[in-house]
Amino acid sequence: MLIQVENLVHTYAPGTPLAHTALQGIELKFDPGERVGILGPTGSGKSTLLQHLAGLLEPTGGRVWLDGVAAHERTPAARARKRQVGLAFQYPEDQVFEQTVFRDVAFGPRNLGLKDAEVAARVRWALEMVGLDPAAVEGRVPFTLSGGEMRRVALAGILSLHPEVLILDEPTAGLDPRGRRELLGRVLAWQQQTHMTLILVSHALDELPRLVERVVVLNKGQVIADGPVRQVLSDGALLRAAGLDVPQPVALLHALQKAGWAVRTDRLLPEEAAGEIARVWEQRSRGTRHRSVSKVPRGHREPEEDIP
Amino acid sequence: MNLLLPGMYVAADSTLHRLDPRVKMGAALLLMVLPFAAPGLASTLLISAFVAAIAILSAAPPSALLRTLRTIFWLGCFMFAFRLFTTPGQPLVALGEVVVTREGLLAGVVQVYRLCLLVIVASLLSFTTSPAQLAHGLEALLEPLARVGLPVRELAMVLTIALRFVPVFFAEIEKIAKAQQARGAGLHARRPWRRLRNWVPVFVPIFVTAFRRADELATAMEARGFRGARRRTRLIELHLTRHDLLAALVVLAVAAGTWTLEHLM
Repeated sequence: MLIQVENLVHTYAPGTPLAHTALQGIELKFDPGERVGILGPTGSGKSTLLQHLAGLLEPTGGRVWLDGVAAHERTPAARARKRQVGLAFQYPEDQVFEQTVFRDVAFGPRNLGLKDAEVAARVRWALEMVGLDPAAVEGRVPFTLSGGEMRRVALAGILSLHPEVLILDEPTAGLDPRGRRELLGRVLAWQQQTHMTLILVSHALDELPRLVERVVVLNKGQVIADGPVRQVLSDGALLRAAGLDVPQPVALLHALQKAGWAVRTDRLLPEEAAGEIARVWEQRSRGTRHRSVSKVPRGHREPEEDIP
Repeated sequence: MNLLLPGMYVAADSTLHRLDPRVKMGAALLLMVLPFAAPGLASTLLISAFVAAIAILSAAPPSALLRTLRTIFWLGCFMFAFRLFTTPGQPLVALGEVVVTREGLLAGVVQVYRLCLLVIVASLLSFTTSPAQLAHGLEALLEPLARVGLPVRELAMVLTIALRFVPVFFAEIEKIAKAQQARGAGLHARRPWRRLRNWVPVFVPIFVTAFRRADELATAMEARGFRGARRRTRLIELHLTRHDLLAALVVLAVAAGTWTLEHLM
């Protein structure tokens, strides 16, 4: 599904002393099957934008077009498009309500009016996709599961809708590093299996480059950057101006560059950065000392200590 | 947040905002009773003028203030109809048994007008007094009752917590409602019974989180040494200033004025 955001404006509590404009003229386009990360400090309008993409809010100005249909309208055409957008809010485990895991995951497919057999098949598929064993968890009461398991059940409840567009608002908030890595790995696998559009709000800067091709940065309700992940996340000045962190490898490469090393700074992943440092290290030592550098240390910090 | 209930506290720095909550609550109570205790035209005019004056001092937008009257629309209609049809007097219109009298029409209008005044005064109080201040003021005003064994401090704490969590609660409902809508819950179903049933997926999680939150809050309070019944110290103590005394005197003067108008003229 093609999503076009056209001059989108959203004001909360208009006409009152608490009026607050969360989005001021957003222009964006998401192509089918694209993987996009959305970054922005607290209060930058991320959540408001996501809700608009799912047609859950009425724009104060502008439009969100889902395949050419205005998302907020209450027409059958708009409803059909909106059904193709799956949205998981932050802490999605809060929305689990049924008496069994099966029934909770089946809630969405049932609302689509599917037959029982199809519902059951989708529930099993979705539970497997989130890494739960359908046979083991289907009959359990969701509230007896651990927090992490409940989150997976909640995400399965959205995947079971087979959305063309999957929107995740900080799906890894509150998870430990391993849980985070695992969940994001699964998200990538879902996307590769179903070719859905993936729109992901995440501050896991160390993981984002593996997941998305493109990054949009919001600040104060405006898009301040929109481009390939490599380009946006290596722009330290831009990220810092928006009050965001810079990926650690990028910060290191910037520091090296400042110290006179001819490194490229658009290496976002630790292993990429290590490779880049190794390359430049080799060049330098070849140029100055003719020393063999076949055993360049892989640690990120060691070359830095060699700076005179 | 994006939520604005009618009469919700609006942080500002007006003359009314700065007054002591005890004075404001006492004055509000007096001003809410006065129109009913002093039914004469002259005293109603005096009270109206005074309420208009404090409305200006409150810096509350008049439109927001008037919007709070919507909450009593049906009550107002009912009271008007009640007075209209039950007051004996000179008949205006008669539909069989039902007789509308001139006195009834007048009494209905006056009754509704008083009700509106009452709501405006209550809104002015809630617009300019934060929930915490309200609870604090209430605790201070009810303090004498603590001596006869009423758990005033506990009640004030319960009230504070309840008021504090109203916006949180509404935000939570909104979030869950949207989440379930995104899963195809028909929350806008036309038939009331179906609509109620469709809201179950919203209310179950709300109850679950409410209980969890209550539990966490209790733990957090105990961890910080909350011991319920014992007397607590406060970060912000209430002190009456000259302005508070002046305000109290003005309100008492208005009350005395209406009494004079009612009884001596």
